Amino acid sequence: MSEQKDTRRESFVKLGLGSLAVAACGATVFGYEFLSPNVLYEPSPIANAGKPDRFPLDSLTADPASGIYIVHAAEGFYALSATCTHLGCLTAWKPELGIIACPCHGSKFNRQGMKTDGPAPKPLPWLRVWLSDEGDLLVDRSAIIAPNQYVRT
Amino acid sequence: MAKTVTAYWNDLRDTRVMRSIFRGAPGDSSLHGALAVQGNVFLHLASVKIRRRSLAFGATWYLGTLTLATFLILVVTGVLLMLYYHPSVPQAYADMKDLQFVVSAGLFLRNLHRWSAHAMVLLVFAHMFKVFYRGAYRAPREFNWVVGVILLLVTLFLSYTGYLLPWDQLAFWAITVGSNLISAVPVLGAKIRFLMLGGNSVNANALLRFYVLHCVILPFIAILFIAVHFWRIRKDGGLHTGPQEEHHG
Amino acid sequence: MDDPKPFVAVVESDTRKAPLRVAFVTRRTSPQVQATDDAYVMTWPEGVLRVAVVVEAAAIVLVLLSLFADAPLEGLANPMQTPNPAKAPWYFLGLQELLHYFPPVVAGVLIPTLVIIALIVIPYFNVNVESEGVWLHNRRRRLQMFWMVLLALILFLVVFDVYAVLAPTLVIGACMLLAARQLIRVSPVQRWLTSRPLSFWIMTWFLLTSSILTVIGTFFRGPGWSWVWPWSL
Repeated sequence: MSEQKDTRRESFVKLGLGSLAVAACGATVFGYEFLSPNVLYEPSPIANAGKPDRFPLDSLTADPASGIYIVHAAEGFYALSATCTHLGCLTAWKPELGIIACPCHGSKFNRQGMKTDGPAPKPLPWLRVWLSDEGDLLVDRSAIIAPNQYVRT
Repeated sequence: MAKTVTAYWNDLRDTRVMRSIFRGAPGDSSLHGALAVQGNVFLHLASVKIRRRSLAFGATWYLGTLTLATFLILVVTGVLLMLYYHPSVPQAYADMKDLQFVVSAGLFLRNLHRWSAHAMVLLVFAHMFKVFYRGAYRAPREFNWVVGVILLLVTLFLSYTGYLLPWDQLAFWAITVGSNLISAVPVLGAKIRFLMLGGNSVNANALLRFYVLHCVILPFIAILFIAVHFWRIRKDGGLHTGPQEEHHG
Repeated sequence: MDDPKPFVAVVESDTRKAPLRVAFVTRRTSPQVQATDDAYVMTWPEGVLRVAVVVEAAAIVLVLLSLFADAPLEGLANPMQTPNPAKAPWYFLGLQELLHYFPPVVAGVLIPTLVIIALIVIPYFNVNVESEGVWLHNRRRRLQMFWMVLLALILFLVVFDVYAVLAPTLVIGACMLLAARQLIRVSPVQRWLTSRPLSFWIMTWFLLTSSILTVIGTFFRGPGWSWVWPWSL
């Protein structure tokens, strides 16, 4: 007989500590939920780029307000995120050099978003593009797709 | 024979009102000095006597005291600046312009707050290196060193949260890059960033959270740990002074 | 078992003759770590006055600075336009410079975390408790370790092109080798160098490295984080 049954005091202490632990877990969960906002007053991720014929063939148009590039390639339309994949600075299109460059640490990307220079770890992501019912180009900035998928008009 | 200032002060100090506040009659004896410290809620964090060698400039360069001085200036100027600052977008920036051009002494107070902040970060690092190089982290002062490192982190975080508040280009992009660094933490990075900013990007929620962190939460934590830091100095036998020299003067 | 105590305990109701005490402090339980015959001064007024003077001095310097130099304020925050270069506050510029060489996970998370952990554990590691010169014991073995660590570090830094950290590493390495010299006649400088413990060398390396990285990030980096000479700007 190695163990003795808990005294009433022992049981009470264990019950108390147990409920405190449960309460602490509950408080943590509720606290986390409180700190995490459920409603964001941020603009919708879906950007309207207008009618496709605004963009001539072989053009790359920057839209800094929505942070995207609309590209009209021979295969069709696609959109790139303009946010540098290194640390979130806004890149800029340099037409005279034919590259997208980030001012923060010198990352450079080509028209397909592939990185050609600098510390960025990933290429600029391709974003989902589709045509609305009215014939406008819509881009979902939160939807990243695999590259080389074009929208034909 | 004209009365000296001390005589006037002693007379004032000896009145019934002052004796009810400070207890006991005025005097210069060590007993009076001891009572002055022991009987004061703020001063009695310190001990009644301190070793003369710990007051030498060469011992500490007074870096810890200087850090505290900048902290006090920051609290005072910070509270005053809060009276004219709304933590909303884009009102915050307009308030900065207000402080610079419209508010009397606004430019001065803002400057003082900013330079004291840079000075405090610099002094906190200098204090840490000085404490290390004179070996004041060794037993029995190990835990106080750890408290000091915590205070270093609190100071850096205070400076970082304050950096966003002007809501200018400098502020916005410095914090954007910083928050993207946080998301580089494996597994929890994106969640931590979302909680810190109160959203997916640096916007109104982020400004408000940083404001509350900067003005309420972090100063409170800082004051708590500063109190612990001073208490540990006392309990560990006062400031570390190293071995005494062989010959006395 | 009982030490002869240098006082006699009494119980009296006259508080003048037997004032209340909070605690008896005998020599063995004193909070003083080592008994010293230090001179003491009163906190009030000497100690408090000294603190007041230091606070005043700091206030004067900062007030003068604030009267003559304005804190910067750039244009309104614009999420659509990243300034070039986008620099962090000066105390993070060393880190931002490190970001130039290593990916964000390493330079932004791993290294700062390791630095903080290293700082916290300093007092608990023997290497920091030893106060004797690093070369005064086991000199040959320690020299071997030293060369291994130094060469590994140099290799690592050269592979990743981190010349900013390579320079202070070489300087500290050279100083440590100077300290390791076994000379017959020692100058005061040599004596001082030889008496530095390992913790001194490591911390000085850290201080030198972070200072150089911060200076580079502040003065030698321009648009696109490219190298610029500050006098040409």
